Amino acid sequence: MRVSLRVRLLGTIVGAIVFFFLVSVIATRIVLQHDLANLGQTQVTNGGGAFAGYWDSRKDQIRLLVAQDAVSDALRKSLQSNNVAALADQLSNIARTSGLSFLTVVDANGRVIARANGAQKGSLGSNPVVQRALTGETVSTATLLDPSVLAGEGLAPQAQADIRSSDGKASAEHIDRGLAIVAAAPISDQNERTIGAIYGGVLLNHFYDLVDQATAALGGASAILEGDAIISSTIQQPDGTRTVDQQVGPAASVLKTGTPYTGVDTEGGTQYLVRIDPVLDDRQHVIGARWYGTPLANLNNIINHTTSTVILWGTIAAIVALAFGVVVVQVLSSTLDQRSKQVRNAAKELGVAIVGSEVSGDHVAMTKAAVEKSAHLIDEIAAQSPSPKLTELKAVNEELHGDVIVIDTLSQEMSNRMQHAAKRVSELNEVAAALTQLVTGETG
Amino acid sequence: MSDLILFFASNADTMIATKALKDAGISAKMIPKPASVNTASNLCLSIDGGAETQAKSALTGAGVALGGVIK
Repeated sequence: MRVSLRVRLLGTIVGAIVFFFLVSVIATRIVLQHDLANLGQTQVTNGGGAFAGYWDSRKDQIRLLVAQDAVSDALRKSLQSNNVAALADQLSNIARTSGLSFLTVVDANGRVIARANGAQKGSLGSNPVVQRALTGETVSTATLLDPSVLAGEGLAPQAQADIRSSDGKASAEHIDRGLAIVAAAPISDQNERTIGAIYGGVLLNHFYDLVDQATAALGGASAILEGDAIISSTIQQPDGTRTVDQQVGPAASVLKTGTPYTGVDTEGGTQYLVRIDPVLDDRQHVIGARWYGTPLANLNNIINHTTSTVILWGTIAAIVALAFGVVVVQVLSSTLDQRSKQVRNAAKELGVAIVGSEVSGDHVAMTKAAVEKSAHLIDEIAAQSPSPKLTELKAVNEELHGDVIVIDTLSQEMSNRMQHAAKRVSELNEVAAALTQLVTGETG
Repeated sequence: MSDLILFFASNADTMIATKALKDAGISAKMIPKPASVNTASNLCLSIDGGAETQAKSALTGAGVALGGVIK
């Protein structure tokens, strides 16, 4: 089946528009995904940095509080006089007003003198942070608190939890240690001799002030991980509750290598683009992580919205271009068809002229033969009975013969030229027919 | 004056010359080529002897090459 030029042109235009359209949409989507992924990674990296800023700020705040308490005259006097009741009362008031989870005073040997949370005795002599404080150093760090320490401070129930696996289904582990930001400072007498130390901090397990503060300021969601388990977060579950006591898949590599992770993580049924930074203790061991993320849907919404906008306006542009193209093709093909028909009509008329020329030539040849025959007859009559009139007739016949020769020569010349013209016209006719077929698809 | 015979290289030139002379107002009669004329054309033109110069000028103007003149 032959396809007309009109259909071919329109097909080409439609094909070009569709091809251009598809390439534009795909390229737009790829570029958007690439650029927004980079932008998102930069955002979560910056967000993670800002979250770290809140973390450090809280650590500095605790350090400052503990350091101020260490130089408190009231505390020093109570310690020197071994007034445990007064000391416990003072510690309780300080811890409550400054938001500390625990605050404890030990003597120069690390024995617990008083606690903010109760009268449990014991020793923190083996605690490396307290040990450093008793040497005169003010220490502030993140640390893991052992169950014995937590029990002594009455904080064990806050830290204990059954941790679910990262898919939120199976119970993966049980934790009884607690992640805390702690500080310790030496307490000195008036002669600058260390007579004890004060040790306090904030237990971060199921403690939400820090993550709430960070999320309120930064947006997105944030979480604190002990090991690879979320112990505090603003990540929402589908039912609106916080995601907590659950493992985070990508955190395992952060714990293992100490290298931050930037990528996708699914928590609470939502995909997040996240930054996970390791949390180090004072000996540079990775003990947990800070998780900061923004919903991936934010980026996907931008990509989908831009893509749908490109498709919408691209479709409108394609329809307008196609309508314009249809008109142009229609005009072009009509003009070509019209010209082709004119050529074919002209060829037909020329064909008639050629035939006429050929017929005329035949007639001239017959006339020439008749004149020559007439000359023979005149010669025969003149030979039998010559007369002046016959002589005059012979002269006229000779002139007529000359004219007929001229006409015959011209006729032959024209006939030859007409033969050439006939070939050209035939070719022209074929070209016109092919042109008509090309434009309309019709034959004949 | 007696007539002149103009001859050309081909019949086509003879025909074009006839038309050129006619347009120039010169009367020319097409005649069969005399046997004494050596040319590929079968036809010649017969014109009045006094119009030779004018005829040559017209033919030059029309770009027709004159093969020769027989007086």
